[in-house]
Amino acid sequence: MRRLRALWMRLGGFLRKPQGDSDFEAELASHLAMHIEDGIRAGLTPEDARRQALIRLGGAEQTRQAYRERRGLPWLETLVHDLAYSLRRLAKHPAMTAIAVLSIGLGLGANATIFSMVSRFVLRPAPVGDPSTLLSVQRRGETALSWPLYNDLREQVKSFSGVAGYYPLVPASIAGRGEPERVYGQAVSINFFDAAELRMTHGRGFANSEENQPVVVLGAGLWHRRFHDDPAMVGKTVTLSGHMFTVVGVAPAGFHGIDPILDAQFWVPLGSADRLVPSLPRGPDRNQGWLFVVGRLRPGATPTQAAVELNALAERLARSYPNTDKDKPFIFVHSGLLPREAQNGLLIFLTALSVVALLVLAIAGANVANLLFAQASGRQREMAVRLALGATHGRLQRQMLVESVLLGLGGGVLGVLLSLWATQTLSAIQLPVQFPVDMRIGVDWRVLLFSFGLSILSGLLLGVAPAWAAARPLLGSALKGEDALARPGRRWTLRNLLTVAQIAMSVILLSMTGLFLRSLQTAASIDIGFRPQDLLSMSVDPRVHGYTPERTVEFLNQLRERVAALPGAVSAACTDYPPLSMASNRAPFHFGGGPNSGKNDPVTNLIMVTPGYFETLGIERVAGRDFGGETASGAKIAVVNRAFVKRVFGDENPIGQQVTGGGVTYQIVGVAGNVKTQTLGEDLTPVLYRSLQQNIGARPSLLGYTLVVHTAGHPAAMSEAVRRQIYGLDRSMAVFNQETMEEHVYSAFFLPRLAAMLFGVFGGIGLVLATVGLYGVMSYAVSRRTREIGIRMAMGAQPGTVERLVLRQGLVLTLIAMVLGWPAAWMLSKLAASFLYGIHPHDALTFAVVPPFLAVIALVACWIPARRAASVEPMMALRTE
Amino acid sequence: MSDKADVWQGTLALMVLKTLESMGPQHGYGIARRIEQTSGDRLQLNYGTLYPALLKLEQEGFIRSRWSVSENNRRAKFYDLTKAGQRQVKKATAEWEETTAILARFLAPAEEA
Repeated sequence: MRRLRALWMRLGGFLRKPQGDSDFEAELASHLAMHIEDGIRAGLTPEDARRQALIRLGGAEQTRQAYRERRGLPWLETLVHDLAYSLRRLAKHPAMTAIAVLSIGLGLGANATIFSMVSRFVLRPAPVGDPSTLLSVQRRGETALSWPLYNDLREQVKSFSGVAGYYPLVPASIAGRGEPERVYGQAVSINFFDAAELRMTHGRGFANSEENQPVVVLGAGLWHRRFHDDPAMVGKTVTLSGHMFTVVGVAPAGFHGIDPILDAQFWVPLGSADRLVPSLPRGPDRNQGWLFVVGRLRPGATPTQAAVELNALAERLARSYPNTDKDKPFIFVHSGLLPREAQNGLLIFLTALSVVALLVLAIAGANVANLLFAQASGRQREMAVRLALGATHGRLQRQMLVESVLLGLGGGVLGVLLSLWATQTLSAIQLPVQFPVDMRIGVDWRVLLFSFGLSILSGLLLGVAPAWAAARPLLGSALKGEDALARPGRRWTLRNLLTVAQIAMSVILLSMTGLFLRSLQTAASIDIGFRPQDLLSMSVDPRVHGYTPERTVEFLNQLRERVAALPGAVSAACTDYPPLSMASNRAPFHFGGGPNSGKNDPVTNLIMVTPGYFETLGIERVAGRDFGGETASGAKIAVVNRAFVKRVFGDENPIGQQVTGGGVTYQIVGVAGNVKTQTLGEDLTPVLYRSLQQNIGARPSLLGYTLVVHTAGHPAAMSEAVRRQIYGLDRSMAVFNQETMEEHVYSAFFLPRLAAMLFGVFGGIGLVLATVGLYGVMSYAVSRRTREIGIRMAMGAQPGTVERLVLRQGLVLTLIAMVLGWPAAWMLSKLAASFLYGIHPHDALTFAVVPPFLAVIALVACWIPARRAASVEPMMALRTE
Repeated sequence: MSDKADVWQGTLALMVLKTLESMGPQHGYGIARRIEQTSGDRLQLNYGTLYPALLKLEQEGFIRSRWSVSENNRRAKFYDLTKAGQRQVKKATAEWEETTAILARFLAPAEEA
């Protein structure tokens, strides 16, 4: 307490300095006067009395100094002095300050942006009460669990106080004012909100009795958008896909489900979800995993205890159900993280980006360090004078470090501003997925803390070498006016090393950039298997409006006919999974009609289509016929793609043969070309197209049904006419995912484009910084050697010789840097290749082009100083200094 | 000079407080003289060190100061104990007595070993 008070008073003393000075001056004067008076009274002469008094005081100036030090905070005072001095100096050199702040700002901005992704996807806990004890339980290779397994977990794992399950995406159309809208929610067990420990902003979560009741909890976003934040909504009913649901609560803003990226907007109990999604199998089938499971640790239970219990349960299950549960250990991750495999992929991606961003920062830092060196050599006489006057090395170094930390902080501020802009830009990117995700990133407190720490650290790091060197000029040389930072006989200065490091890092950065640009180029030339031009697509989901399968088929057929008859339409077809849709319905297939034979059956994507689908999308038809004429109850027919034929039949003719998958036998009537069904990056996958009419009762797609229209003119121009046809058939039908196929394909290029953009920007920044750095070093070298060059020329050296001399020095640095950087780039590219499509890690073109390209840049950077050197006038040079 | 003891580190504050307790408000020079007198002139006080010590005590809130007029009609800064200062005198005295008592036991000739 007392110490704190004293510190506070001293801080006060530090701020009210002049007043305190005069006060103590008066006290000291009064002390001396009294002492002298006493001395005179004791018989001394006034002079002797005064002398005595001063001796006993121990010197007036010393006393003042001791008093001053006690009154204020000496270290704070020197810091403030250093700060003020540094700010003055930086303001005096605005160009240098601006370049330094800009360099560090770019580097830090890149890092802050990448870190905002790390913060969002790796560090941010789930938006639930106490995220640390909520675990999401999965099995190896399975993120979703079956209903019986969920019940096993609930009943047998005692470390959990609650085990909740949820089905992550339930589509529904919500009616009300305006056009009907398609929204996505989740079907959850009734203990979901209890396990999540989530407090509703209005109303409540689900009660135990509401397992099968039509009740709903609204997300804050949906509540705001469609119901204008009306608290009286609790207790009212809303219509979801034609069914009445009673609102019991409103979830807090920011809660979009436990998943980190899905954007769920309402929650209904699992038991009432079959009104919205048929076929959530709550039966004894252990094969069908569809439920995501989270467990809340009992107070006092540790994750280790839970792991032990889960292992024991997995062993019991393996014994009881060897067919389905053998070799399926449980794994768990903290809720709010992506599933294990996705998380690993994301981590690799973010690590690569962080490495690149740190490289950019390192290059920028080396640049600024070089700049500070140049500054320091301009200040050596000042330093020498200050040292000669008695300043300590430490004091000089501290002042220079304060200066570089100030530059770092300035860069940090700029960097945060840049990352604010960058995160906004990145958040605005449309993702190539057809269900709602929330991947927005932003600058949160973790990013701010990270940026602050990194800017202080980079300020210290880039300042430490120049400060050390500058505070130790060779006094003799400095006072003589010679370069006092250049140690005699040392050819490899720190600046040269910095430049070499910079160029080496640029080699790495540019190679990576080159690889990613090449990957984009490769991606652009991928054969997607269909014609994206002149196609309009939009989706409807009649089933969520209460349509039976038969009525759904009827609706889609009528819609196709009406749209195809529109002027400007060439043809129209429907499917449940349009190409490049990221989603799939898969099953292993085998030849013939019997049950599954073994594990080698090729996993096949199942896609429902209507007649005319292949013509409409311009998919090649290789053999056989199209759909058409089949009846709903007749033998099921299928068209397979080339990859399927190759895997199942080899060279045999597949037409007329039977194949079986997912418990259904199909007769093959035709063969179609290969199409990228899910992503650009996928390998050729076997695909089996089946008749929409014959299979509409099967497990439905989350994407609804997509109508694809081949138009004669610009496809977007027809969208209103097509919409009108849909509303003409059913006024309340929600239409979603409306886009032209070219837009759809464009968004599928998302990942390569994003990566190429990030790496391109980073590579460009790095290149510019390294070039400036090399130029700076060479200019400095020339200015230092002016006299030497003058002597050489006076002795008869030709301008061309001098030019070559300087160029050679620069190119030697470049060459060394490349020898160092090239192998590192070679190794890093392997890492990059592991997660992006179409990258050949050792792409010859990239690795052949980058070094000469960089050499040319380096040549230009050296050439300007070289020209300056060659134009040195010998007599002028000899007279300088 | 050398036959006079210097003031030990840390004891000056207690001497100042004790002096103020017995004398009431006093200026810096008065305190210094009084300390020397009390010690029977066995202590040689460097007056310059007294003022930072007074400042420290004031910053810690044990004493307060105000400008006033001395008995010789001279303007001087007078120091006075605060409530906290009075408590501190008792506390520090007790601690000091404890310390010296312990030390005395060590230094006393061993009678009953």
